[in-house]
Amino acid sequence: MSLATKIGSLTLRNPMILASGVLGTSYSTLKRAYEAGLGAVVTKSIGINPSSGNANPSIFALNEIRSVISSIGLANPGFQVFREDLEKLLESSVPTIVSIFGESMEEFKEVLNGLTDLPIQAFELNFSCSSSKKDRAQISTDPDLVFEIVKELRTNTTVPLWVKLTPNVSNIVEIASSAVRGGCDALVAVDTLKAMVIDIQTKQPILGNKRGGLSGAALKPVGIRSVYDLYEHFDEEIPIIGVGGIYRGEDIIEYLLAGATAVEIGTSLGVAYPENMVRFFQMKVKKYMEEHKFSSISEITGGAHK
Amino acid sequence: MTKQTLANDKPLMCKIVDKWEECFETFSFKLQLPVKVQGAKPGQFIMLWIPGEDEYPVGIAGLENNILEVGIARMGEGTEAMHRKEVGDFVGIRGFYGKPFTPPEDVNHLLIGGGFGVVPLKMLIETLMKSEKKQDIHVFEGARTKNRLMYLKWLQELHDQGEITFHVCTDDGSFGYQGFPTVALEEFLQKTKTPSVIYAAGPERMMKFIFDLGKKYPKVIDMQMSLAGRYMRCGFGACANCAVDPTGWRICVDGPIFNTEKLEKISDFGVYERLDTGEKKKL
Repeated sequence: MSLATKIGSLTLRNPMILASGVLGTSYSTLKRAYEAGLGAVVTKSIGINPSSGNANPSIFALNEIRSVISSIGLANPGFQVFREDLEKLLESSVPTIVSIFGESMEEFKEVLNGLTDLPIQAFELNFSCSSSKKDRAQISTDPDLVFEIVKELRTNTTVPLWVKLTPNVSNIVEIASSAVRGGCDALVAVDTLKAMVIDIQTKQPILGNKRGGLSGAALKPVGIRSVYDLYEHFDEEIPIIGVGGIYRGEDIIEYLLAGATAVEIGTSLGVAYPENMVRFFQMKVKKYMEEHKFSSISEITGGAHK
Repeated sequence: MTKQTLANDKPLMCKIVDKWEECFETFSFKLQLPVKVQGAKPGQFIMLWIPGEDEYPVGIAGLENNILEVGIARMGEGTEAMHRKEVGDFVGIRGFYGKPFTPPEDVNHLLIGGGFGVVPLKMLIETLMKSEKKQDIHVFEGARTKNRLMYLKWLQELHDQGEITFHVCTDDGSFGYQGFPTVALEEFLQKTKTPSVIYAAGPERMMKFIFDLGKKYPKVIDMQMSLAGRYMRCGFGACANCAVDPTGWRICVDGPIFNTEKLEKISDFGVYERLDTGEKKKL
């Protein structure tokens, strides 16, 4: 039995990838996450300049729905500073996907060109952070913009391009089709859902930015549906990476059955000790494979469509 | 039902039931928790939300009968916003986060704090005093001037009652001896024959100095220091903005209290802090 999986030309030791935005600020936390047993890590989203992001509170848990609402607002050290952390991380041979964002095509190109010479596994394009200050959801919900940006970035690098999709659209397949036509190498579904929490005592939205994005267990059925829809449309034309609300090994299996070849895990690794969580995930996935007589991850992918 | 600790959840709204000026530019507050909880341990912290203003980590000075005590020194806009709050106002808390101090028995307990770092030490002192066995507690406190010494009256009273030995100093000599608290700490370490544990909280550069000092004395069998002064967003491990290199330990869940063995491995300790952008800056 093997947990190894392929995402296009990339082979990972297992299908579990650290999602962007969790444990992703420095080389040391990313390295720790990989050493906990993951297949690869995605960095925090990196832009052209250092940014402090949104005012606090910018992230807190919602206990009753095992979820987290956040509005970090793309706080990041800028690609030039982050490059030093990346170099240290890559020295340890950690399979690394760099999440990048920009307010425009030019910004995307600048960040991408500033990091593309590094031996990274892929760029993940963040078009859709639900918590950002400006409404950059404009890109993520506009099929033409997604197509143009992916197409242009494609000509700037040979590094695989993954596109992270927002669930905040009426038809996720339409946006994904634009990304595929533009030349992306994998689809990542889904980013956080637009969300808000109001304190009824003081009658104020709690997040400093008022609006944020929801991750965690509440997001999982949304992610599963999105992956299912994408796989139904694309079949094996493009690899799909499932993300949203993975708290247990069973959730990973569910994403694979919906059509994913790998998954990204964020919130649950952040709220606990990644070392313990990854061990539990592995145990459960292996147990399921034994019970259902699967010998590889690819045999599980898309199983719910048969 | 009394809960062991609070759930990791959105801010729990608490009414301010008492407020007083603790010392110069520092206020203490008592917050009424709306649920019955025991839980909080010395060295743990909460994320304090001042609605519409800010949220930041705050050390816990005490928790008794669902009344939580915190001490807030003026450090910037966020703390000023808390200083403007009055009895009857509501603020939110999340927590209790982090690993606490873990004092062993049969040692000298040497507590040393600078500035707001004295806040979590207050709860540690109270916990040590409640121990069934009589504990040797030494508190070393220093400040620029007398009016900046936190919990001065309380600590003096405990000293007079023989509960603790209070070593106090000021930079200007306006109270206690003139100089830094590390002077009295070192004098004590030179004299004592009993195994000792140092607990420190406050500015990291000060703690690094104490750490290097403590390492010179084999009778210091452990040092436990709080790195809770670092910038945090979530408080429960997700954002990792507080993480230290090269270990990748998150201050909020892997700390904020680290012992000698762990502090040795944190090359950032006392040297680099991490800004809200994620950039590192020399302390």
